[in-house]
Amino acid sequence: MKFDDKVPIYYQIKNHLYHEMMTGQLAPGEKLPAVRQLAVDLTVNVNTVQRALGEMITEGIITSQRGKGNFVTTETPRITQLKEHLIMDQLERAYEQLHALNLSDEEIIASLKQYIAQRGQQDD
Amino acid sequence: MTNVLAINQVGYKHNFKTILHDVDLTLETGKIIGLLGENGAGKTTLMRLITGSAKGSGTIAVCGDTSTAHHKSHVSFTEQLRGFAASTRVDRVADFYRTVYPDFDGARFEELVTFLQIDTSLKLAALSKGMKEKVIIALTLARQVNLYLLDEPFSGIDSMSRKRIISSILKWKPADATMVISDHYVSEIAPILDEVVIVKDQTVYAHKESDAIREEFGLSIEDYYESLYAEGGADRD
Repeated sequence: MKFDDKVPIYYQIKNHLYHEMMTGQLAPGEKLPAVRQLAVDLTVNVNTVQRALGEMITEGIITSQRGKGNFVTTETPRITQLKEHLIMDQLERAYEQLHALNLSDEEIIASLKQYIAQRGQQDD
Repeated sequence: MTNVLAINQVGYKHNFKTILHDVDLTLETGKIIGLLGENGAGKTTLMRLITGSAKGSGTIAVCGDTSTAHHKSHVSFTEQLRGFAASTRVDRVADFYRTVYPDFDGARFEELVTFLQIDTSLKLAALSKGMKEKVIIALTLARQVNLYLLDEPFSGIDSMSRKRIISSILKWKPADATMVISDHYVSEIAPILDEVVIVKDQTVYAHKESDAIREEFGLSIEDYYESLYAEGGADRD
């Protein structure tokens, strides 16, 4: 995995795992690889993986079972909630940047529609 | 959290020239530390002081023990395979390690040899730069100690060897042991470092958590390191 060295690594590990959960590569209830294995796979420090998983356990996205390892939560509403949260996060960033360019809400919606339409053409 | 290393007011002179002065440094167990500094900044000297192969002023405690004579049993450091004749085969060097260090684990060494794809029948003189570094890593990590020191393991080696070496560190470093890796070029190992220690102006100039640098300054480790060097030594006087 390629990291942005300006952003805390534990944060990027969390995002990587969130992404895998939302795209179904990590299913609800699935066991995560062992901490050291994750560290080797991602080429990061074991302690950094530990920190990322620790925060995700606090968030309730991962459950830790003593002696068995870490598992993706089986509470699907929690994953749906996470997905909504990440979408809002991305939208907020994009909205703020467009707003800073003095675009009104109507103009933002219009340019987004236009962008999607143009993108669709490019994809063909 | 316990400390594996506590350096207190350490200084070192060579031919009346100050190489290091007023060095204070404490390292916790279970960490990977990047020791960064320009060539000639004193990184290797600091490692030699820790193992006890160089003698300076001040005190250095490894696992709470300030007697440098005891440090070699807690610290694994393979300094450039000096002291072995060029015609020595790699497996003979390993035999020497097995004899000298009771903590040398032959099975671990074999695993590392396989993983790093080392041909142990080769003579030291026949090793490429990258292969020589791999041999050093295998010998160093095959010992079971509290503190591992790697002196510029990535200088002048190809990217495939580098990736293998980094993976071997992540796989074989015992969880409660600390590893210090010196380098003058940081970007390639930045993601695996818990903390960085920067040697500048003949002393430990900065010691910080890697993710704290990214979080507080929004800087990469490399940019942070370069910004300290750009500051210039005179500003701190």
